[in-house]
Amino acid sequence: MTFLKRFPIFILLATVTMASSCKDPHQVTPFDKESLLLNFSDNLIQPALASFQSSVNQLNADYLSFQANPTSQNLETVRTSWKNAYLAWETVKCFDFGPIKTSGFKAATGTYPTDTAKIESNIAAGTYTLASASNIDAIGLHALDFFFYRENALSYFTGNAGYSNYAAAVIAKVKSETDAVVVAWAAYAPTFKASTGTETTSGFSELVNEFNRDYETAKNAKLGVPIGRQSLGIQMPEYIEVRNSGFSLQLLHQNMKILQLYYNGNASASGNTGVGFDDYLIHLERESLHTTINANFDEILAKIESFSGTLEEEMATNPQGLDELYNLIQSQVISLKTDMTSSFGVLITYQDNDGD
Amino acid sequence: MTRNSLQAYFDPFKEISIAPLIVFRIIFGALMFFGIARFMYHGWVEQLYIEPTFFFTYLGFDWVKPLEGNAMYIPFVLMLTAALGIMLGAFYRYSASVFFLCFTYIELLDKSNYLNHYYFVSLISFLLIWLPANRRFSVDIHLFPTIARQTMFQWQSGIIKFQLAVVYIFAGIAKVNWDWLMDAQPLKIWLQAHHNLPIVGGLLQEEWVAYLFSWTGCFYDLFIVFFLLSNRFRPFAYFFVIFFHLVTWYLFPIGVFPWVMIFSTLIFFSISFHERILYWLERGKRRSTIDAPLVQPRKFVRTFLLVYVMIQLLVPLRSIMYRGDLFWNEEGFRFSWRVMLMHKEGHATFYLYDPKTNRELEIDNSDFLSPTQEDQMATQPDMIIQYANHLKEHYDGRVLEFGDYKFPIFNPEIHAEIYVSLNGRPSQLFVSKRIDLTSQPYNLCHREWLEPFKQ
Repeated sequence: MTFLKRFPIFILLATVTMASSCKDPHQVTPFDKESLLLNFSDNLIQPALASFQSSVNQLNADYLSFQANPTSQNLETVRTSWKNAYLAWETVKCFDFGPIKTSGFKAATGTYPTDTAKIESNIAAGTYTLASASNIDAIGLHALDFFFYRENALSYFTGNAGYSNYAAAVIAKVKSETDAVVVAWAAYAPTFKASTGTETTSGFSELVNEFNRDYETAKNAKLGVPIGRQSLGIQMPEYIEVRNSGFSLQLLHQNMKILQLYYNGNASASGNTGVGFDDYLIHLERESLHTTINANFDEILAKIESFSGTLEEEMATNPQGLDELYNLIQSQVISLKTDMTSSFGVLITYQDNDGD
Repeated sequence: MTRNSLQAYFDPFKEISIAPLIVFRIIFGALMFFGIARFMYHGWVEQLYIEPTFFFTYLGFDWVKPLEGNAMYIPFVLMLTAALGIMLGAFYRYSASVFFLCFTYIELLDKSNYLNHYYFVSLISFLLIWLPANRRFSVDIHLFPTIARQTMFQWQSGIIKFQLAVVYIFAGIAKVNWDWLMDAQPLKIWLQAHHNLPIVGGLLQEEWVAYLFSWTGCFYDLFIVFFLLSNRFRPFAYFFVIFFHLVTWYLFPIGVFPWVMIFSTLIFFSISFHERILYWLERGKRRSTIDAPLVQPRKFVRTFLLVYVMIQLLVPLRSIMYRGDLFWNEEGFRFSWRVMLMHKEGHATFYLYDPKTNRELEIDNSDFLSPTQEDQMATQPDMIIQYANHLKEHYDGRVLEFGDYKFPIFNPEIHAEIYVSLNGRPSQLFVSKRIDLTSQPYNLCHREWLEPFKQ
């Protein structure tokens, strides 16, 4: 019974120790998730959205002058500004939560493969509602790959007003979606910055989960599916992103580069000060995991840079090299999704639950 | 205690006031009503039972199937009604039976949703069917006045106390392991994530706080029941019950269950405590003077209690019959009150392999599973086998067309490469890709095909 008698004293002592330690000068500095969210919101997400917005505006302006004066030189200008917009899109698509998710921005601007038959029939019909769900694969930046890079692209614009109006409508839709998201993010930013919890709906959880999801989407959609990983090894060139213009490997490179930058909390390779997932891992004494993740990213990027042809050309001539690239990307999933995410104590599921 | 008083203390047929059981019934019914309503409100019926196309059934209960589409709401509406019935003591035995059957049916549908507390609710609602919890302050005694009663046998509240004791003590025993006590894992991971909380956030980063939580939690679970049983320490112990469960409620996403435990443990309180509550509820109205006689086939009841108690004591211990690491292999893990005990995260890549053409296909798990199902499956061996068998069934006999190629799939193999991280350790191989999972048995035997756990 002595233990029973002393139990309250033990608890009292424990409480006192707990309370008094608040004044302990040798406290561990807690990792500040709020500064991470602040960095993402102010230095990464909003600038990325703003630069995407300006690249879309540029595309829109260039297209309008091209439409007024459809020369091959003006077409080249539009092609360049379209590529820039597409590369900028790769910097915002991994933030598919908050207003970007609720507005359906990603699907409306970046769905592929494009249903070119649907586009043709829309143009032939003369009337179409680009906002309708059935047209989701007949709009967006990816649809423009077909318009700007199909064979004899210029002749379609000069010969058919319905055709050039459709492309104009597609660009206008991308622009209006983008403008809406930029405004919505500015309004959402304070909520996001304060949302540091571990519940599935917190800003931090969404950031981590969407980061992982974007990585896996890149792995599957940008590479795995075309090279035949989901089709018993039969290559599926019709699933290559921006197949006509042939710059899908650059897009994959951009996607991986951006995810590495974001992992490190930086907007560009030169700045190394942003608070990112790397700082959190280091705080949790997982330096070796941190080193592995960055080394993996470097290796993936170097591998992509080693290809000289387009993805379609490499599929024909160098399938083994692409397999090696795929395996590199695959092995990184485990470091990110299993090791990094579990050390953060973030729930990986997208559903709330009754707990255990 | 003398031998006689000890005998009386444990005598299942000692006659005592029925008040504690009545209060328990009211609280349990109300909480279940709230819990089920919350479940429906959050859209979980849709998410967990209507949207998925595949369900991880329990071994031996593969015949339990979900209802078609929105018909899935029927058992939930029935449960709402039945929970009200339990609370009000209206058509009580039917209410309790309907609640038990519906709740257990829902839980048996998919083990990805398994929670120890759901199992607890199934057990309690099963017990309630056999308890006279409608014999006072109920609708039933107005309808059938002759059943009114002021007393019950001691076992009729004792079995609920026993069940609560099983939950706590086995949860405590489960915490006596290296990771929990010596590494303060997984609490170290879980607590550090809460640095943003006002006042305590900084404290939760401290390593010693994780140790304090781990050890206190272990002691709490092991001994709280004994303090609750003691008249002297009960108020003090109950303060701890409230404190402990509020902390878990605040820090972890565990929904309604802290409240279930806080209110269920009231059954340990004295008869006079419950009498006072009932007196207040009855607003001093004259109680029924009828007192139905207290008779029971004692031999039958004794056997029933013995069997129930033995099952409850043995089932959580069955894991000791398995070789290998319990947390890694999860053999004998469920139904054992291992609550909030480990942090396991895995990534599983499944492959369809066609031996005829020597070709393989990587499977997109999201084509077959919900995010929760995929997450649970990746770390639980029996679910891995079930999923592999489902994939085989899905592809077997199908002709896959890719471009101009056609592949008639016959008797394919399913392989998986799975990495798992346990309690903050770096991830390691869990299932090797060389195993054809469909050739592995789905049963309760030790699973040889799992990679061994390396510390």
